[in-house]
Amino acid sequence: MESIVFGIGITALAGALATVAGAAENTESDIGSQGDPNSQVQLAPQMGYLHRIFNKAIAGEPPAWGLWIALGAGIAWAFMAMQINPILAIVLGAALATFVQGVYATTAYLGRIASLAKFGQPVFIDILKSMTTVTMAHAFVAIFAAVTVCHLMNAALGHPFPLPLLGLVWGIALGAAGSATGNPFYGKERQYQNQKYGAGVPIAASGNIVRYAEAGERNSLDNGWFSARLGGPASGVCFGLIVFLELWRTVLFEQIGAGWGAIIIGIIIILVFTVIDRYIEVWARKNFGAYVKPTEEAS
Amino acid sequence: MTVKVEKIEGGIPHTTIMIAGLVASVILLYLTYANIAVGTEYFAFFGGLATVAALIWGSHTIKVLCSYGIGTGVPSAGMIAFGSGVIAMLFATKYGIAAPIVAIVLAAIIGAIIGFVANNVLNMRIPVMIQSLTEMAIIGAVILMGYAAMMTGSFELTSLITGKVSILGLSLPSYQASFIGGGLIAVVFMLGAIAIQHPFNACLGPSWTQDRMLMLAAECGFLSMITAAVMSMAIVSMGAALVSLLVAIIGWYYTYTKYIELSYRDAASWVDSKPIPETEGQ
Repeated sequence: MESIVFGIGITALAGALATVAGAAENTESDIGSQGDPNSQVQLAPQMGYLHRIFNKAIAGEPPAWGLWIALGAGIAWAFMAMQINPILAIVLGAALATFVQGVYATTAYLGRIASLAKFGQPVFIDILKSMTTVTMAHAFVAIFAAVTVCHLMNAALGHPFPLPLLGLVWGIALGAAGSATGNPFYGKERQYQNQKYGAGVPIAASGNIVRYAEAGERNSLDNGWFSARLGGPASGVCFGLIVFLELWRTVLFEQIGAGWGAIIIGIIIILVFTVIDRYIEVWARKNFGAYVKPTEEAS
Repeated sequence: MTVKVEKIEGGIPHTTIMIAGLVASVILLYLTYANIAVGTEYFAFFGGLATVAALIWGSHTIKVLCSYGIGTGVPSAGMIAFGSGVIAMLFATKYGIAAPIVAIVLAAIIGAIIGFVANNVLNMRIPVMIQSLTEMAIIGAVILMGYAAMMTGSFELTSLITGKVSILGLSLPSYQASFIGGGLIAVVFMLGAIAIQHPFNACLGPSWTQDRMLMLAAECGFLSMITAAVMSMAIVSMGAALVSLLVAIIGWYYTYTKYIELSYRDAASWVDSKPIPETEGQ
């Protein structure tokens, strides 16, 4: 009984840390225009819409975050193998992984913008300086929280995988959660605010992202501020629920039927979420109306 | 048949880069064997240099493959390189001094099979597909072997699955603290896979230039080598790890500043805190 209470405590702590990691991850990728909204940011100068948006394309979010978390976990593992205190080891691992993320972000921005020279898109050094540091700060929070989740699974719950392998698995899951939950909010709600509701992105509006703010010109920090209010927490709840429910079903039901109990509970959770998702979709359609055709004035 | 949408104009031809990359990485891998010949670990950093050579070759192979309009397929090309390469690399480590050669031959066979399936079963019909995926599998195997040699001092299986744990001053052999048992192979898999796709993914566009992309490939290689050197501190001796770290930092600093210079050369303009420039017709 005592071990189950301990396991549930660890589960709750890991879920809370995962929520923080998800929120920070999504804000980081939105400031960097990573993930699927990137294609429109990349396209904009080619359509004549020069912009001051940070464009750091480092693969998709899942592979990139697979690397950051696996790297943080690998370095933390190495320091722990050298008998260094786990908390210090995780901090050092997260710091080095954040350094790598920052270097990748600068090279991605410089490379993408220099390759758009034909369309006159300038490299904005102030964008590079101010956005990279903000994404690095968010990346540190996300990497530290996610590596701590992996360490809790490994050390407290006795997961058989070594720490770096757990980091790879949960890093990809974190990137996928942020990409699936947060990106629609950033890409469709923020970059395409000038389109009618439900209009999608017709070819005539390709690359016509929002470049001007309420006053002055918009940069990616404004996008970070916008998506940190709803998109970030939504991604955090998504990843937090994934980690919490995954550990919860394992801790409570693994003993039943030689492990089959946890698998059956997992299938039941998927079915429950399918019903909830369908209900929300139907409810949203009823309340917000059908999709409308794009109008000419939008382009 | 897919139409080639981008052309490589000028610069070094791909065949030259391929031969140079293959020869350089194999020679550098064999230089790590000096560790066993002399009985030290200080030559481990040659493994890291082998990965840099292979990454430069690999980034150009991705450029050749992805010039057939595979825009979103750039990161997946890196993943398939390492997914096919890891099989060949792990199998080859059993063959002692012949390991790099066995890995290259085996990876070529695996890559050719994957390329054949992609082109003829999945009907992708890209002319360079079989050659490129063969190259990618070899590159993946060589890079993984380079990191293994750098982080353990040797590319033989026994050293990859035994690490050392010191308890109260006693040094005991342990599978849990090894390159494979500790899961470090998962980290170098991602380090290489992101580093190999990043140069072309970051530099793609109408004003792509070859020297800038290859410089970025070297930068990614040295950056990955820095972190691999830090992780190797847990496995090889501290002195050998510090030599690797020093070589990596010097190489990274040089290539990073060079890359920024090349970006400055290629960019339309380079401005600080300026508004969006006015364009015609707006």
